[in-house]
Amino acid sequence: MSDSGENDAAWTLYKDRPEWRDLKPVPENDGPSPVVVIAHSEKFEDVYNYFRAVLQSNEKSERALQLTKDAVELNPANYTVWQYRRDLLQALGTDLRTELDYVEAVIKHSPKNYQVWHHRRVLVEWLQDPSLELELTGDALLQDPKNYHAWQHRQWVMKTFGLFDKELEFVDNLITEDVRNNSAWNQRYFVMNNHLGWSDLNVQREICYTLEKIKFVKNNESSWNYLRGVCFHDKRGINGNAVVTSFCEELYKNKCRSPYLLAFIIDMCDEAIKKGETNTFHNADRAILLCHDLATKYDKIRSKYWNYVCDKFKKIQKAQNETDNHENNIDN
Amino acid sequence: MNNDENKDMSHRQHAKYFMRFLNILPSTLSSHDTTRVTIAYFSVCGLDVLGSISSISLDLSSRIIEWIYSLQVHPNEENGDMSICGFQGSSTVNIPLDPANNHYRCGHLAMTYTGLCMLLTLGDDLSRINRKALVEGVKVLQREEGNFSATLSGCESDMRFVYCAACVSYILDDWSGFNIEKATDYIIKSISYDYGIAQCPELESHGGTTYCALATLALSDQLDKLSQEQVEGLKRWLVFRQVDGFQGRPNKPVDTCYSFWVGASLKILDTLHMTNYGSNRRYVIDTQDVVVGGFSKWPDTSTDPMHTYLGLAGLSLIGENGLLEIVPTLNITRRAYEHLKTLHKRWSDEC
Repeated sequence: MSDSGENDAAWTLYKDRPEWRDLKPVPENDGPSPVVVIAHSEKFEDVYNYFRAVLQSNEKSERALQLTKDAVELNPANYTVWQYRRDLLQALGTDLRTELDYVEAVIKHSPKNYQVWHHRRVLVEWLQDPSLELELTGDALLQDPKNYHAWQHRQWVMKTFGLFDKELEFVDNLITEDVRNNSAWNQRYFVMNNHLGWSDLNVQREICYTLEKIKFVKNNESSWNYLRGVCFHDKRGINGNAVVTSFCEELYKNKCRSPYLLAFIIDMCDEAIKKGETNTFHNADRAILLCHDLATKYDKIRSKYWNYVCDKFKKIQKAQNETDNHENNIDN
Repeated sequence: MNNDENKDMSHRQHAKYFMRFLNILPSTLSSHDTTRVTIAYFSVCGLDVLGSISSISLDLSSRIIEWIYSLQVHPNEENGDMSICGFQGSSTVNIPLDPANNHYRCGHLAMTYTGLCMLLTLGDDLSRINRKALVEGVKVLQREEGNFSATLSGCESDMRFVYCAACVSYILDDWSGFNIEKATDYIIKSISYDYGIAQCPELESHGGTTYCALATLALSDQLDKLSQEQVEGLKRWLVFRQVDGFQGRPNKPVDTCYSFWVGASLKILDTLHMTNYGSNRRYVIDTQDVVVGGFSKWPDTSTDPMHTYLGLAGLSLIGENGLLEIVPTLNITRRAYEHLKTLHKRWSDEC
């Protein structure tokens, strides 16, 4: 929200208001050698001159509360004003419900402002009432489904007050709307991790859900990352679940060369080697081939990275060959 | 990299751009009123990256230094309380207050960090810094979970301020206000299932917060607390942020600032060289305003000091001609960092 003071014809400066005559404004003291000086409007200077005066005299009054409103409208990022406003609310015993309405309006205007969301959180803590928060954050996410502040507030409310019941449905709608919404996938993980849990059944269900989404859009980092995240909770790991492995091989056979698919198979190879469970599909040779394809054809922007991964598998392969030769020598 | 093949960087225009910001700003920037120190930081350190620190005259330099020191909050004269100590971001509430109200006039971690960086960049010897007080000011801001608030007076706490607290502790060469174990625990808990790192545990991983976390681990010498799997996962997550320039989260648009946030994270993990410098450079160069100077997050949008500084810092990381080397953890030039090292030596000799 930028300073709109210049065009505000009906505005009466605080210094011209009879009801404020008793208070002496306190100008900003920027010292003898200020730099990065902002050429504030007259309105801005006037409001903050009076804010400083109120702060200095520690005035706790209705008019001071109104003044903080004008001050945050001119600069919603001023955390001192917000803090003083909270102290006023407590001192005056103001109805916090009306304050919730007010903050909601400010959030609608400045949905990416840290201070406003913090103010909201303190109010909810005071009231111990989260009943409006899912709708508030839901509205903000309707405007911008990746608004980090809204997600942070939502997660805090859900965890603090245990409001998980309808979240999977909310997340599913967002993913259906935009399967590439990484924030929504993250929230899905949040719900599973805190509420539904990673039982074998849930793991299997989440895998199936994710595979369906990948079938729909294959080149989507968000869904592939989620799949990997879910597989961590599968006792069989990422290479031991037949549904996942056959899904990946099917995609590969059908000429899908999404870097995320190939990277996933590489990770399966890695895991198989570490567990000593290499097979036809998951072994060092396959990983080397895939790294090579990524570096030269399917993900050229990251060719140096894939060469680096490739080198690690080559070392494993070399060590393996040496062991094999050694064993052959012994056999002979 | 062969710079001749591509468009050039408008070096002179960017230096002029920063000089303008050091002077006076339009009222449309009133919402930056409490964070003027950061604008000064971007300008001063930006000029340094450009190799143009000498554009700042001795007179201007001493004015900036005096101004920053005027924003240092000293211990309470009556009871010696240091909890409010640090730098304020501006003089908006730099007024004498009653003891009961004194907490409103308190330092802000991001301002303390950027204020110190600026003093170092201008060659100040930090002799007027109350080091003990600043460290105490850091200490009171750490939360039980290990993260930090920015200020004493009503503020959110998250990964950004863990980083600022780590920088202040590193610069002052005193970690007694920073519980490394708790902070490290907070960072590890904030690693997501995709191996990126978030603002707080369980939130979506993010390029900016991943930088804050990794730089903190590097500054506090805790990178070895990451498992091999986490390190390799982080490398993967970070290199996947490259589209041409870098994005901050999967499936989000590319933005100039992530050439620094993600670039520096990769540099800390010794992996930046595995990215494609040419594409990265082309994107960042495309976001500069060649007429009046400055960089924006996207091509042909409005410039700002933050994107201008981070654009240049990002280019410096990949060895752009004519730019000074950046130290990825503290986000100051190697030149300023060497100056800090001489101060550290002086302080330890004094002990």
